[in-house]
Amino acid sequence: MLAVLVVLGIAVFPLYWIFTTALTSDSELFGSEPRLIPDLSRFPVFIEALVDGQTLIWLRNSLIVAVGTTVLSIGLGIPLGYALSRFSFRGKVAIGVLLLFTQMLPEALLVVPLFALFRQFGLLDSLQGLILADTAFVLPIVALILKGAIDGVPRELEEAARVDGARPLGVLLRINIPLIAPSIAAAAVIAFFSAWNEYVFAVTFVFDKSLQPASVGLAGFIGEQGTQIQTIMAVAFLFTLPAVAFYLFAQKYVVSGMTAGAVKG
Amino acid sequence: MTAIRSKPLRRRKSPLGSRWTPYLLFGPAVLYIVVFQAVPLLQEIWLSFTRTSLLNPGRSVWVGISNYTTVFASESFRQTLLTTLLYVIVCVIGAVVSGLVVALLLNAKFPGRGIARALVTVPWAAPGIATALIATWMLNAQYGIVSRTLNALGLGVGGGGILDNAELALPAILLTTIWQLFPFVSVVLLSALQSVPEELVEAAKMDGAGRAWVFRVVTWQVIKPTVGLVALLITIWSLRRFELIWLMTRGGPLGSTRTLVIDLYSQAFDSKQLGTAAAIGMVGIMISLIVIVGARFVTRATERES
Repeated sequence: MLAVLVVLGIAVFPLYWIFTTALTSDSELFGSEPRLIPDLSRFPVFIEALVDGQTLIWLRNSLIVAVGTTVLSIGLGIPLGYALSRFSFRGKVAIGVLLLFTQMLPEALLVVPLFALFRQFGLLDSLQGLILADTAFVLPIVALILKGAIDGVPRELEEAARVDGARPLGVLLRINIPLIAPSIAAAAVIAFFSAWNEYVFAVTFVFDKSLQPASVGLAGFIGEQGTQIQTIMAVAFLFTLPAVAFYLFAQKYVVSGMTAGAVKG
Repeated sequence: MTAIRSKPLRRRKSPLGSRWTPYLLFGPAVLYIVVFQAVPLLQEIWLSFTRTSLLNPGRSVWVGISNYTTVFASESFRQTLLTTLLYVIVCVIGAVVSGLVVALLLNAKFPGRGIARALVTVPWAAPGIATALIATWMLNAQYGIVSRTLNALGLGVGGGGILDNAELALPAILLTTIWQLFPFVSVVLLSALQSVPEELVEAAKMDGAGRAWVFRVVTWQVIKPTVGLVALLITIWSLRRFELIWLMTRGGPLGSTRTLVIDLYSQAFDSKQLGTAAAIGMVGIMISLIVIVGARFVTRATERES
């Protein structure tokens, strides 16, 4: 269907253009006839972009922050989701409101107090600080997704395990967790790329060049004259590829995980 | 013989563990959120009633509501509000309409549908910085593909390029933002479309009903609540969106792309006025709250109707 192809073209074109621009020679870029098809023979530009300069360091930092955020948010989110799903307790409604309310808060607003807080605790210029900040913002979503998923696990299974003598917490979680694994995966992907793509906290809290994640490194190229556009685009592509590839791969789970949370929650 | 029970079966209110179990479960997470979001928010509220410089954040001077009065009286803030309003409205309508169209397209059966549905998430998945980079390059006055195409079509924009043009910068940002947002809307609406009873649609078509009628009477009724939810979500998100605008135009040229959040950040880190920034931030929060409350009213009202 033509319409679908047009839509896909629009969706994919900018990414394609990053790829193509990286592989275009100077004369073609700045000449009168722009190149529309990537010149694959210039592939080494990606290798160079990866190896020269700060790229590997940036990507490593992004990876550390993303993994840390994922682990921390899932680690906190599973118990929170479970509590919200299975228990009634005083303050449950308040917590629900808190979680939804935090979705309204812009990072740019909280950046200032968090800056002061981090400075007091020596968390500025650290990847741990970024992990803490990023987790705070993604935890509500993760918890809501997981709560929705746990809602879908029949209580009879937990009852049965308890009757069989299962110790309350540990083993019950071992029943729930395998059953909600797709939603955990979805929440993990969301947390990972929320941190991978994150820019505001990274640019405000980290000044040490060796600790900057790729999002900040790339942003530094905007408006700067020194680096070749092909190199910039190559680095951008290397940074974007994991995010996009993972989403393409995991999107089935992400969608069902998110809508399960949204509909049930 | 009567069965001897060693221990009567007790019915517990909480299904497992002690009554402290839930608190242990949610405690750490909630504490975490309180420390990293709620407390900073309270600090911001307090800051908004002070004059505080970024260079000397320990020294705050209480100024009551003077930040708010100054802000509301200022011409530039009025521009910010208008820009934000425009930005939000266009984002929501643009993203929802385009997302809906794409969802409808992807709902049909055609070969490669799975791949298409996956590929369409690319704009959503791409990091904001990469999008900002490629958009800025594509809009580059001399070498960007967009500028070249426009020039070739005789629609040249002249000297500085689109992002330097006070009238075109915002539309360019809006188009880029809608490009980022439509996949999310599509994906959510696509799931909602799965709930539309196919037999009804087929029956109506066999009775000769036109597509528009089928959509209006059958499909739309089913997906209406989801559309509402997505629209609300995009509205709230639009009030927060920062990266793309900051990276592409910093709120310029001439403040034409300066939304509330951009204004806030600029006040804090460029003008170094934390109090004013906080006041602007609070205005933004108030607007978000009004939107959410308003949306609930609208939802309740429409529910009562049907």
